[in-house]
Order: sequence, then C-alpha cells, then structure tokens
Amino acid sequence: MNELVLQHYLAVGGILFVIGLIGFMTRRNLIVMFLCTELMFQGCALNLIAFGAYHGNLGGQVFTIMVLVIAAAEASLALGLVVLLFRHKHTLDANAWRELKG
Amino acid sequence: MPLSDPGFFGGGLLAQAVLHPVLVLVLCIVAGIGTFLLLPSRREPATRKIGGAIALLALLVLGAVLFRWAAGSAASAPDAPKLNPYFWIFAAVTVIGALRVVTHPRPVYSALYFVLTIFSTAGLFVLLAAEFMAAALVLIYAGAILVTYVFVIMLAQQSQNSGDQPLAGLAEYDVVSREPITACAVGFALMGVLLFVIFDRPGGLPPSATGPFDTRALGETLFSRDLLSVEVAGVILTLAMVGAIAIARRRVPVSQADRLRETQPPPQVADNPHTIPIYGTDNPRQKAYPEA
Repeated sequence: MNELVLQHYLAVGGILFVIGLIGFMTRRNLIVMFLCTELMFQGCALNLIAFGAYHGNLGGQVFTIMVLVIAAAEASLALGLVVLLFRHKHTLDANAWRELKG
Repeated sequence: MPLSDPGFFGGGLLAQAVLHPVLVLVLCIVAGIGTFLLLPSRREPATRKIGGAIALLALLVLGAVLFRWAAGSAASAPDAPKLNPYFWIFAAVTVIGALRVVTHPRPVYSALYFVLTIFSTAGLFVLLAAEFMAAALVLIYAGAILVTYVFVIMLAQQSQNSGDQPLAGLAEYDVVSREPITACAVGFALMGVLLFVIFDRPGGLPPSATGPFDTRALGETLFSRDLLSVEVAGVILTLAMVGAIAIARRRVPVSQADRLRETQPPPQVADNPHTIPIYGTDNPRQKAYPEA
C-alpha cells in the first residue's frame, strides 16, 4: 500500500462526479441522463474505495457493494420507467414531460 | 477577517497549497469553456473539436501540475508515498471517457464510452488493492447494467436514415443540449471547490494503516460485521425486481398525443409482451403468430 496518495484518487472521483452532474443537467435524452447518474455513482465508489484503502479497513469496500446494489436497483427501475414514458409519448425527450400535474 | 489574512484559509495553508487557487480557477474556467463547446449542439463540428482540444488541454495542465508535485515530493523524501505509474493512465482514460459519455450525441456511443470508463475505474480499484470490487464492477456494470441500457436504447431510440452528416439521423433532443452555460458554470464551480479542498494540504497524505484487503477478508467482514447490510441489499434488489416488473407490465392509455399521431403511423416498437411470439406455449394470448 505504499503507493497510495489519497488526494489524487479523490480528485479523479470528484472530477467523475462533476462530469456526471454536468451531463445530467445538460442532456435531454432520458437514457443518457441515467447513464450520467451512473457516472456519479462511479465517482462516489472511487472515493469510498480510496478512503477505505487509506484507513486500512474494509468499510469502504462494503459501502461500495451497497452502492453497486443501489445502482443496479436504480438502473432496473429507471429503465422500466423510461420504457413506460416512451410508450406514452413516443419520445425520449425529458422536455416532453415538463407539464406535470402536481 | 479580510481575505488577505494568511489565517483565513485554515492557518496559512493557502500559501503552501499544492494547487494555487488562481490556477484552479483558471483551469476550471478553461475546462468549462471547452466542455461547453464540446456539448452537443448545432454548431460546426470544427467548433466542437476546438472545445474538446481546450478541455483536453486543461486536463493535461492539471495532470502535469499534479505529476510534478508527486515527482517532487518523491525526490525530496524518498520514503514518501509514491503513485503507481499506471494511475496516470487509468485516471486519464477514466476522465476522457466520462467526458465523451456526456458529450457524445449518439446514446449508443455514450454507453460504449461508459464501458471504457468502467474498465479504467476497475483498474483504479485494482491499484487500491480492491480486486474483488474491480471484478464485481466489471461484471455488474459492464456486464449487466450496460446490457440493459443498450437494450432500452435499441427499443426506444428511433433510427432515422443516416446520412453523411455527423448529426444525421439523430433526434432533436440528442443534438441540442439544455442550459449548457448554466450547467457548465455550476459544475465547474463545484469542481474548483472540490479540487481546492482536496489539495489544500501540503504534502501527500500517507496511508495511516494497512490491513488485509483480500477477498477472503472482505467476505468475512461482510458476513460477520456487516451482515445486516447484506440482508438489506437482498431486500432492495427483490423490491427493485418486483417494481420493475410491475412498471413494465402496466398498460398505457391512449393519450391525446397518440390520437393526434394517428394521422401518421407511429414507429413500430414491439414492446407489448403479449405480441412477442412464444413457441410451445398453450396460452392462446401468447401463441406464436396469433391468428387475429
């Protein structure tokens, strides 16, 4: 473990998170928006693993397993919803759903 | 307290920070402009290439500064923590792949660049001695989640006739971004703050302790200390599966948009489970090639 410099890994994780955030805000395709949330999950997972290695315990890896579980559940539910929304309006544009009753 | 006071940023750490705040600011502005130009829009392709070059330049400068710092600290103190050289390769591939996921106008290519990002992140996990997590990441993300994404893209993405133009055959919502200036400003402001906070401490942080990191130790931890989280994970996955089936089987009412669209034929999407032919079934609603 003598090759770990924590800050570089944290920087890569932060950059991944921010790029995913920008994509989530700018892209209008529902599928690509959820792909960008997966990018943000990647950044979080990288930070968790780096902190776990830094502190020398396995808590970071256990947390990352939970992140993977949440990402899998989110992907299945979100893609089911995307298919449902697509069947309603025959478009993947997120702007097509601006007028929501609420 | 005035900003020029050296004690403002945590006891004079500002002067010794690895990345000077002005450098972070300039890099984030440059990368923000580059990303803004690179995002899908109806600009000339040459403009988007220039944006990509600008973003790549900012990334290279950031990497060079960090590399010089890492090499300098390694030269001044031989027992200081050193970075694995593979880190730089994997980090560059990760960030460039992520940038292409966000900025590529075609969703299938976005998904493929996401696979690239997954593989290089798995490489970073291996460098952090998390081999099991690297394998799980490749299996779950590149194997399972990405296949689901590609299925949905094939199901829902209308394929128009493709021409020679780089954006031909794409829907309008793939070509034009939503609020690119605001999103780039907010995102890169956040990135600047994050980079500044991460690098405001001089010198590399050494690992505080070492422990067993192999898969056996992970399994023992997972099934002794964190048993409850395993159970919760099982419940979450079951709920997600039930919910996904319930959502996907729901009938869609004929909406106003559909009635308006009846003048022109809708795109043929075979997503009704009752019309997908199933061979060898006795259920008349699921027969292959229904008569009616």
